[in-house]
Amino acid sequence: MAITVLVFFVLFSCSFVFAETEIRFVTWKSQFPKVWDEAIRAFEAEHPGLKIVREIGPHSSTEFHDLVTQKLKNRDPEMDVFFMDVIWPAEFAAAGWALPLDRFFPAGEREKFLSAPILADTYRGQIYGVPVFIDAGMLYYRKDLLARYGFSPPRTWPELVAQAKAVLAKAKDPQLTGFSGQFKQYEGLICNMMEYILSNGGSLWDDDGLRGALHRPEAIEAVQFVRDRIIGEISHRGVLAYQEPESLALFAQGRAVFHRNWPYAWEIANDPQRSRVVGKVGMAVLPAFPGGKSVSTLGGWQLGISRFSRKPDLAWKFVSFMTSPEMQKRIALYAGRAPARRALYRDPDVLKKRPEFESQFETFVHAVPRPRTPVYVPLSNVMQRFFSSAIALRDSNIESLARLASRDMDRVLDLLREGVRP
Amino acid sequence: MREAQRVALYYVLPSLVFVLLFSIYPIFESFRLSLYRMILTLPWLGQKFVGWENYRDLLTDPVAMKSLLTTLLFVAVTAPVEVLLGLFMALVLNESFRGRALLRAVVLVPWAIPTVVSSQMWRFIFNDRYGLVNFFLFGDATHLYVAPLAEPYLALIAIMVADVWKTSSFAALIILAGLQTIPDELYEAASIDGATLWQQLRHITLPLLKPALLLALLFRTIDALRVFDLVFVMTQGGPADATNVLQFYGYKKTFAEGMIGYGSTISVVVFFAALLLSLLYIRLLGARVLERPGR
Amino acid sequence: MRQNALQPVWWVLIGGFSLVPYLWFVLTSWKSPAQVTAIPPEIVPEFHWGFYLSALRDYGLLRYMRNSAIVASLTTLISIAIGSFAAYSLTRFRLSWTRIYLMLLLAISMFPQIAIAGPVWRILNTLGWLNTYQGIVAAYIALSLPLAVWILATFFKELPYEVEEAAMIDGCTRAQALWKVVLPLAAPGLFTASILVFIHVWNEFFFALLILTNPALQTLPVGIALFPGEYTMPWGEIAAASTIATLPLIALTLIFQRRIVRGLSAGAVKG
Repeated sequence: MAITVLVFFVLFSCSFVFAETEIRFVTWKSQFPKVWDEAIRAFEAEHPGLKIVREIGPHSSTEFHDLVTQKLKNRDPEMDVFFMDVIWPAEFAAAGWALPLDRFFPAGEREKFLSAPILADTYRGQIYGVPVFIDAGMLYYRKDLLARYGFSPPRTWPELVAQAKAVLAKAKDPQLTGFSGQFKQYEGLICNMMEYILSNGGSLWDDDGLRGALHRPEAIEAVQFVRDRIIGEISHRGVLAYQEPESLALFAQGRAVFHRNWPYAWEIANDPQRSRVVGKVGMAVLPAFPGGKSVSTLGGWQLGISRFSRKPDLAWKFVSFMTSPEMQKRIALYAGRAPARRALYRDPDVLKKRPEFESQFETFVHAVPRPRTPVYVPLSNVMQRFFSSAIALRDSNIESLARLASRDMDRVLDLLREGVRP
Repeated sequence: MREAQRVALYYVLPSLVFVLLFSIYPIFESFRLSLYRMILTLPWLGQKFVGWENYRDLLTDPVAMKSLLTTLLFVAVTAPVEVLLGLFMALVLNESFRGRALLRAVVLVPWAIPTVVSSQMWRFIFNDRYGLVNFFLFGDATHLYVAPLAEPYLALIAIMVADVWKTSSFAALIILAGLQTIPDELYEAASIDGATLWQQLRHITLPLLKPALLLALLFRTIDALRVFDLVFVMTQGGPADATNVLQFYGYKKTFAEGMIGYGSTISVVVFFAALLLSLLYIRLLGARVLERPGR
Repeated sequence: MRQNALQPVWWVLIGGFSLVPYLWFVLTSWKSPAQVTAIPPEIVPEFHWGFYLSALRDYGLLRYMRNSAIVASLTTLISIAIGSFAAYSLTRFRLSWTRIYLMLLLAISMFPQIAIAGPVWRILNTLGWLNTYQGIVAAYIALSLPLAVWILATFFKELPYEVEEAAMIDGCTRAQALWKVVLPLAAPGLFTASILVFIHVWNEFFFALLILTNPALQTLPVGIALFPGEYTMPWGEIAAASTIATLPLIALTLIFQRRIVRGLSAGAVKG
């Protein structure tokens, strides 16, 4: 009797242990939770015995970063798979937090993805993440207003300012503003400012010499343009406190001629429930400075595997499933996010539901990642402080602020020269 | 006496366990870390003991110094304003009138709302297009609308307003409690002597209320020095770093940049600032509560 | 002081100051999605209940409220119990270290919580208590003990020692005397301390964000902080959630304001 009970107990407990292996997935709450719920159910159905346990963090990139790094720095084995913003792989790789995925994710497979996010996921020759969907800066404009006054979408920033001024002068609508973007002191400010500086031939820092480059004339000129022409002439000063939602709300309420945002804005601007400009919205690549090339900042999210995970092989099964063509298609169709796999931009179902992807494809291909470095966050904070100080104060001394910022960046970059890297 | 020692210790022990584990150990840990240079994202640099270097760096870090000034300005404005406003509320709420219970409950509403929620609320109210503040000031004239969170000086004021709204009622509560200990007879005697309301306030209420006022000021000062949630939700330290209070700067260093040593240094400095100010207040307060019970 | 003619003006001012921002949020919760960000703002809502529906159904508001209620009640119960023993001991025995302990409690309550969070996280991780009620409650007890002990100590100090001595002479043990005599006498103090601790814990955000990542256990402040998406700010849902979430606390203060105020005045700030 006792032995029967014992055997039963052992069998039962074994089956209990082996029946379900948990994979812990740290994610944010999606705007389209159903898509993710279904994807995870599909994975569990396909892999009996595996169970995905989700932990939910804030969707703000900055806050999510702080949560994930808290787990990683404490070597938490309870996290197997996590989302990474496109700016983190270098940091996570250098810190020894993210698992190199080369043995799972060979070069041949990587070629099926857009090259920009793959580049962002690569650090010192190894790959640390698999792109799920991508983002890139876009110019939105009021088709109806530009047509009424005989303009076509601007190719250069000065042209954009001139058109906006002309429309504002002729429309005589005191509630209308020329341009709405994201100029609050936060990560999005870097995305916006980078598009001006790089399209003027400048750079944020010099990656080979490890030196800040904000004090160079191209950068200073671009920053000054934003302060004096964009904010000084065609935007109202509120943009200095805007993140994506506020800036889009202004455009969707029909109060802005031009708007810089990510691809998601298209759907909202054309949703009668949330927009008053349905059907009046046009989309184009961002302008450049005369003689420069249009630059779109790359955004988007990747899946990574923790180096402290006790079951990396199972974790990979999940990552590979979530980034498979079928799943990316599902995410593109039902969550409206731009897929990271090239082939989906030729997929008839995707193009039927999301015709805008076709015209956006060029931008996605040429989107520029923010510089990859393990000290990205401190550099970003220095730059945010500089950009915000330079554009928020009308009489800021941009040159001296830029020199200080470059010097502070040098000091952070100097850390990379110290010690011997493994 | 021996027995008393033992009993006293037993009774304190459970609280001591929690406090040691979750407060005192972490504080010493922070202090220890503040003597190291430790950068999480560059593990090959190792954990280097640097002595007081982080503290020296802090003194020469212009961002930190500006941030210290911003924090002190925040404290110097909000704490007294909250206590004054709290005093005013308490004086009104101390009168008996119909509906006093309701008004007292209403006054406690801001205090009962989670700070994270009230910060979002104020962010919404201060919005430059669809915010209540602009609508209230300018009505339909949208071209006059200002953007409080976009202007470096206004942004700090906006944060102060949100803080005053949230916590004045707490000050009022403490002061109200103090008011209720003042016997009515004093006022009666004073009005018989022909004292005006203002004279009564100056010569009876305020002197007797001093401990309550100082206590409210103490609590508000300690809390204001550590202001974080409001900045985190409303401005992220901007624009132009105008709202980058010390505690937020320390958070950025520790949790975002992974500069554990330097971030801990900032926390330790905030702690000592709070400690110094409170010692000052406690001196003024006379530390009555610490006296042993009379037997 | 005597009544004065301006009183009603003050009532309106104070009430308006406290309520108008909140009422604005309440009105927002009844607006339609396009109305929420209308320029200029529209005051009268279209009485659209969609935000409530989605806050309750899609965002799981009730679950967050339940978690907050559990965490805050457990914390309050335990820290008041532990705190009572400590406060009793600190006020009843003439010992050299009791004063130091009280000062220590005050000092640790000044320490920036952000600096404590890292080590606390590591301890809970070692215990396997991350993402558990006991984990967050343990951290919260430590956070709220200084508040609880200080308030309770001010109450206990005022209680006459003689009653208790009499009870002990009658054969009560010290623990019985504490339970049967001191605590009932200190009821207003216990009550005040409970309310303060409860609200303190109910509002806490930062620890909860780090310790509770399992959505089934997350508390209200974390829950509402998780409403915004990467590029979206669901003002309507946040407003609806805040309206619902604040109602219990308003009810609580409305019912108990007399006790809160009386409790405080009985001890804390006696001049």
